[in-house]
Amino acid sequence: MHKTKAEKIDLYKLHKDQYVAPKRPQLVDIETAEYLAISGRGEPGGEEFVAKVGALYGTAYTIKMTRKFTGEQDYGICKLQCQWWFDDERQDFSSAPKEHWNWKLLIRTPDFVRDNELAEAAKKLLEKGKEPEVQQVGLESLTEGLCVQMLHVGPYDQEHETISKMVAFAEQQGLEFCERHHEIYLSDPRRVPPERLKTILRHPVRKKSR
Amino acid sequence: MKKSTEQLYRQRILHVQVHIQKNLDGNLSLEALARRSYFSIYHFHRIFKAVVGESLQEHIRRLRLERAASHLKHTDESITNIAFDAGYQTHEAFTRAFKTVFGCSPSYFRNRISTSQEITAQDRSGKQTRQENDNLFTGDGPMKVETKNIESMHVAFVRHVGPYNDVGEAWDRLCTHLGKEGCLGSGSQFIGICYDDPEVTPPEKVRYDACITVDEDFIPAGDIAIQTIAGGEYAVTTHFGPYEKLGQTYSRLFGEWLLTSGRELRSQPCLEFYLNDPDGTEPEDLITDICLPLRSKN
Repeated sequence: MHKTKAEKIDLYKLHKDQYVAPKRPQLVDIETAEYLAISGRGEPGGEEFVAKVGALYGTAYTIKMTRKFTGEQDYGICKLQCQWWFDDERQDFSSAPKEHWNWKLLIRTPDFVRDNELAEAAKKLLEKGKEPEVQQVGLESLTEGLCVQMLHVGPYDQEHETISKMVAFAEQQGLEFCERHHEIYLSDPRRVPPERLKTILRHPVRKKSR
Repeated sequence: MKKSTEQLYRQRILHVQVHIQKNLDGNLSLEALARRSYFSIYHFHRIFKAVVGESLQEHIRRLRLERAASHLKHTDESITNIAFDAGYQTHEAFTRAFKTVFGCSPSYFRNRISTSQEITAQDRSGKQTRQENDNLFTGDGPMKVETKNIESMHVAFVRHVGPYNDVGEAWDRLCTHLGKEGCLGSGSQFIGICYDDPEVTPPEKVRYDACITVDEDFIPAGDIAIQTIAGGEYAVTTHFGPYEKLGQTYSRLFGEWLLTSGRELRSQPCLEFYLNDPDGTEPEDLITDICLPLRSKN
């Protein structure tokens, strides 16, 4: 097996400024980034959600390990991220029933990963009897631009307090939320107790319309 | 009930301790002592440490050095001979070991004794108790241990022989191979089988299997082999933090939990389940389940 001499890429360390997460809201300019992505709808932790998380990770690892095997540039698999939104813009997490929540699961991926690698990975995973959802995983580039960002420590269902702080902060700056709510999961909810879960909350903002 | 189990453990270890005292020059191999204690070879050394507060090797070394100290004090035997009796090939090695236990060189010890300035054993025992506490009772609050039934698992694995710090290479080979074949998915479990205690087995001989669960039809290739990990009842605790500190959690599991659990261990190695990816996770955020195989209650 060949091994590359080049340092392994850690995208989070490389783009540290994009993942700053103080415990009070802050403005961050988020540059374009590439992701493996899969969308769905319904309760987080529900059947569809779990299957798609599995499909996304399976794809991410298959692509990475295939590249590693052939001696190409190695990189670490980034932590899971997710965008959340509602069909009706007036709704939010507290008012919309969970079955109406839209989400897009994301894993940040180096920009040298190509579509054909994705297709190959899906083929191999299907052959091995993994989730058929692997066929829905795509490569996506997101440019979020100016965002309010903040660290939320605690259970996911208490994010509203943190989000209110972010909204208030945006308003002070003459800004308002636009686009999709975005979360970066720093902790593993399987074992970390809810009160210690760390999540970066991010929301794109624009100049407030008068 | 619980009390009596602890006493039983202590009795069996005491039996071994008496044997060690009587046979400081004899065969004190791990295998021989484990047999004498009726504990499984996989778990004996950790139970010993939990009960005695120091590892088997430390214990034997200390007893030999204490005997040497007594010879220094009460005989005119040359230091070189005393060193040899304590199992040291050279004067220098003996002096170094002696210093770590007694805080001075053997010749200084002998001279000081002759001027009747006794070196108190208190200093040492005091230090030892602290060490013991550090090893066994760090961490916040009582330890959370669950007993769980684990199904037997079919795994692909790479055997690693050498220091634990180097197991990364075995994992690399295993993950790369399985990954490129499309065998890594959300259901994949990452398991380490730990046959040896690094405190007992010389680092270059430590055996470890890096394992990932696979389907029955997985075809082994090169140094990627397959095996079935025995199912059954296990005591499970979660270790949070760097892998280098797993040893401390093992010590607590044996010292705080096992001795008072009323349970006995099966003659099978301990398992470690790695719940997150050390790649891209800060060492302090790593999560590992440690599993001790339990003998059934009847």
